Order: sequence, then structure tokens, then C-alpha cells
Amino acid sequence: MKSASLSARMIAASVVLSLLVAASFAVLISAVSTLDDARDREAHSKDVTSAIVGVEKLVIDLEAGLRGFVVSNNLRLRSPYTQAHAELPGRLDALERLVADDAAQLGRARKLRTAIQIYVRDYANPILQIAEENPPAARSLVADEEGRRHTQLINARFSDLRAAEGTVAKENAASAKTQSRRAIIVAISALVACALLIVLFGLYLARSIARPVRAAATASSRLAQGDLSVRLAEDGPGEVSELSKAFNRMASELERSREDLETQNVRLRESERRKSELVTIVSHELRTPLASVLGFTSLLLNRDLEQRDQQRYLEIVDLQARRLSVLLNDFLDVENLEEGRLEFARQLLDMGTVVDEQVQLFSGQSSRHTLDVELQEKPLPVRGDPNRLAQVVGNLLSNAIKYSPEGGTVKVVGERDEEFVRVSVRDQGVGIPEELQKRVFGKFFRGDAGASGIPGSGLGLTIARSVVEAHGGRMSFKSVVGKGSVFSLELPLAAD
Amino acid sequence: MTRLMCFTAAAAGVAALALLTGWESDASTGPATIRITSREISRIRIDLGRPGRGPGDTEIVRLNLFNKRIKRAPIGQAEYVCTFTTRRLRSCTASISLPRGRIVAGGSIQFTELYELAVLGGTRLYDDARGTLTAIRTTRRPRRDILLFRLTG
Repeated sequence: MKSASLSARMIAASVVLSLLVAASFAVLISAVSTLDDARDREAHSKDVTSAIVGVEKLVIDLEAGLRGFVVSNNLRLRSPYTQAHAELPGRLDALERLVADDAAQLGRARKLRTAIQIYVRDYANPILQIAEENPPAARSLVADEEGRRHTQLINARFSDLRAAEGTVAKENAASAKTQSRRAIIVAISALVACALLIVLFGLYLARSIARPVRAAATASSRLAQGDLSVRLAEDGPGEVSELSKAFNRMASELERSREDLETQNVRLRESERRKSELVTIVSHELRTPLASVLGFTSLLLNRDLEQRDQQRYLEIVDLQARRLSVLLNDFLDVENLEEGRLEFARQLLDMGTVVDEQVQLFSGQSSRHTLDVELQEKPLPVRGDPNRLAQVVGNLLSNAIKYSPEGGTVKVVGERDEEFVRVSVRDQGVGIPEELQKRVFGKFFRGDAGASGIPGSGLGLTIARSVVEAHGGRMSFKSVVGKGSVFSLELPLAAD
Repeated sequence: MTRLMCFTAAAAGVAALALLTGWESDASTGPATIRITSREISRIRIDLGRPGRGPGDTEIVRLNLFNKRIKRAPIGQAEYVCTFTTRRLRSCTASISLPRGRIVAGGSIQFTELYELAVLGGTRLYDDARGTLTAIRTTRRPRRDILLFRLTG
């Protein structure tokens, strides 16, 4: 599963942080709003209390005006009563409006209104009238007692109202305090949560970015110091993972490049070594016939030789010159094959015919060898260069003859299957030691042939294999020391 | 037959009044306040001592009782029988007939405009009633009072 990208994770983390902050503020706003409500309710309770006090003051004015008039019978002292009597209905209405949202308080306010109305109707107004007609009666103990009863009832109503409002105010104050405390707790919690989240986010960033970047820097340093095996863990968020993968690809490429370079270096060294070896071999191989040519030409020029000796020396010179020519041709062929400059004809030909021609050509070269040809099927069609393929077959025949100095039968078999044409040359010669078999197709490899006086440049098999491979085929051999060798070539079967 | 019908109608009326006034007073169930108004219908003073008002004189006052919130017609009657003990002070016994029983109150009255009597007892609903009766004059002519019974049990 593809890992979420770092930017997506950062955006997600930012969104979560924003949501938390928004949620915290929402809760905070809600708490503050509730706190405002609680304060409003507290203020409302104060308003109600103030209204109650206002009504109470008017009731006191009623009582004071009544008492003043009853005691003095002075109309001027009655004015507080008259004024309060006029104001009371409005004040009571206002009080009831204030407590209208609280049914219990409204009930208490209405009871207060009733008590005041009863006081005015059943006591105050009659007493005022009695005071006008019979002042002593209005000042009697009975009047006092009756007045006291009414005012006690009114005061009780005031007490109920005030107590209830006090309870409401206290509850509101407590609620406001609770809400305030809750708002503070919410704010602190939100602050702590945000701080924690930011720290976690920072840790996450440090873990997701800083650590991989540090690891990449360390790995780069090791890479710069030549440790190409260093690799980064490819886990982590998308971009970091991509960076790690890119780094690892780069390191792998560098490692491969270095291995290629090392391989090339080895090859170059080998090539250099072979070049030196080539120069040595070439100079040696060329020097031998050239020395013969020079030596016998010198004899021919400086000595007075008989006709027969002259003839023999000239034949030797001719032979060595031809040998030089063959050697140079082989050098050129190897060079051209290695450089890919050799061009081959691609014509349809019968390998059986090629084999027959070459066997006929070599059959007269050695009286101790018998060349036996077995062509199991005819034709053996391949597509290729007839001269070069003849060169290959000739080379194999030449080797078979040369490396069986005691003579024997050289058996050439030509066969085909559904895909290939196969030609094998078996001799009964000296064979190739196992430890040398790997180098058989190498340039200038001749094994013990040089020491055994077997002529050759050591390039024949190299050229043969290159030619066969250039035709899309392959060469192989089997050899047992003392029993002989069999060299085979396979070429793709051409359509008839 | 006619007398029987009258009696039946009167009983039904009393029962209805009892029901109506029962909404306002519930003395049988405990403390209660009964507020009614009265209108004086007759006042007779019998001069038994020295001529003019003085100790020994007897005064008999009859009142119609109303509860205007329920009905305009009288709901009962009251009779005060007072004996003057001084020129102004009189000792009175009041018998107040209400739809659900009779209340008897007694005590001294100095000012007829405002007085207080002790509730001494009663009949039916007000059997063994206790408390006070406070009367406050509201108009002089005709004489109207508020009668306030504060029953304690």
C-alpha cells in the first residue's frame, strides 16, 4: 500500500490541529456565552431585588404616611401615603414583568400585590377615613394591632420574594462561578492540548523529515567516502520514501558503474597483458620464420652453393615466407574479428559440400592419417560465408592432424536436427590436459605444442570460434589426454 | 304544603351558600381567615340607667352580612347585644349567622369604627371555634364594616 505523502500528512495534521483549536474555541465561546447568560441572570436577580426594595420602600411610605396622618391628623403628613398609593400599581406591574419568566416568583409577586391591596383596602383606607371622623379610634390599640397584622403579612410576602430571589441570585452567582471555572478549565485544557499537539507535530516532523534527512546526509557522506554499499530504509512518508528510493537507486547505479569500471579495468589490464604477450608472441612467431628467411637468403647470397642446396634453401625460404604470410593473415583476421570489421556473406550453402571439399584438400597432407567422413543426412543447409566456414573446417582438420603425431583416423561427422547443423571432427591424438582446456579458444594458446615442435600460431581456434559465433552458432569440444579430442561446431539450420 | 316547599327551598339555599362560603373559609380544617362585609340594618338603644347614654344601657344592632365576590344578596345576619359599662365602653356579645354555621364572639367595644372581639365558639362548621373578629368601619352612612374572622382552629 502506498504510503501517504508527507505533504498530505502535514496538511492532515494541520487540519486536525485547526479542528482542535476551533473546537476548543467553540467550547470556550459556549462557556463564555453561558457565563454571560449566568451574569445576565445575576444582573436580572439584582434588578428584581432592586424592584422589590422599591416596592418595599413604597409600602413603608404608605405606612409612614398613614401613621403620620393618624397621629397628627395633618393632611400634609399624609402625602407619602398618597404618593406611594399612586406609584404602587406601576411598581408592582414592573416587578411582575421582571419575574414573569419565573412562575413561582410571579406567584409570590402576585401574593405580595394581593397583601398590599388588602392592606390598602381593608385597613389603610378605612383607617384614614376613621382618622378623619374619629381620630382616637384610628389611634387605638386595635388599629395598631390590625395594622401590625397586615404589615406582618406584607413583610412575610416580601421576605418570601426576597428569599426566593436571593436563592435564585445565589444559584445564578454559583452558576456564573461554575461556568467561569469551567471556561478557565476548558481554555487551559485547550491550550495544553494545542501545545501538546504542536509538540507532537514537531516531533513527528523531526521524526519524519529531520531523521531521514540526517540519515540521507550520513549515507551521502559514506557514499562520498567510497562506501557504495550504503542504503537507506525506504519506509516513511511518501516524499521521504521517494528520496530514499532515489538515493538507493543512485547508490546502486554508482555501485554498478564502479563494478563496470572495475571489470573494464580488469579487462584493460588483461588486454594490456595480452597485448604485451601478443607483442612477445608475435615478435617470437615472426622472428623464427624471418630468421630462417634471412639466414637462408644470406647463405644463398654469400656462399657458392650447389644447385641442389640452393633449391632446398629456396624452398625453405619460400615455406617460411608463406608461414609468415599465413601468420600475418591470421593476425589480421583476429584483429578484424575482434574489431567487428570482418564482413561475412550470407548465402545458402551446404555444409556437407564444405566438409567434403576440405577433407579432400587435407586427405593428401598426411600419409599416416585416415580422414573418414560420415554425413548422416544431406544436404546440411546453412546460411553463411562459404570461404570462412571452409576456413573453420580446415582449421579443425589441420589441428586434428597436427595433434595426432602418431597418425590415426580423423573422423568427420556431419548431421542435422530440427534447429542446427552439427559438424564434429574427432582425432586420436594427444588430447588436451584438463587444466588447459579453459584456454583452448584463447589467442596464441598452444599448450605444449610449441615444445613438441607442432607448428601453428595459436590463432586458429580463436578465429574458428569467432567465425562460428558470427554466424549465430557455437563451438565446443571434449578431450581426454592420450585418447584424443573431438571439436564440434553448430550452425543454425537454414530453411531448405 | 306551601310551608314544606318554602322550607325545602330555604334548605337548598343554605346548602348552596354553605358551598359558596366554604370556598373562602375552611375552619374545620384548621386556621382560616374569613372576610365578609356588613351593613347595619337596625340599631336600638334601650336607655336603662340615667337618661342619656351611660352604664346599664343596652344596645341591639342587627347587620346583614355580604360576600360581594360571591353574590350581591346577604349571606347571613349578625346580632350584637351590648351593655354599656361606661359612657363609651360597652360589653357586647355578637352572634353571627353564616351559611355553614354560627359564630359567637364577645368582648368590649370602645369605638364602633374599629373594634376587636374574641371568637368564643360556634355551631356546626364553627363548633368550638377560636380566634378574633376585627371590624373596621368603611362608610358611616350607611354604616358598613369589614368583618374579619381570624380563626385559629
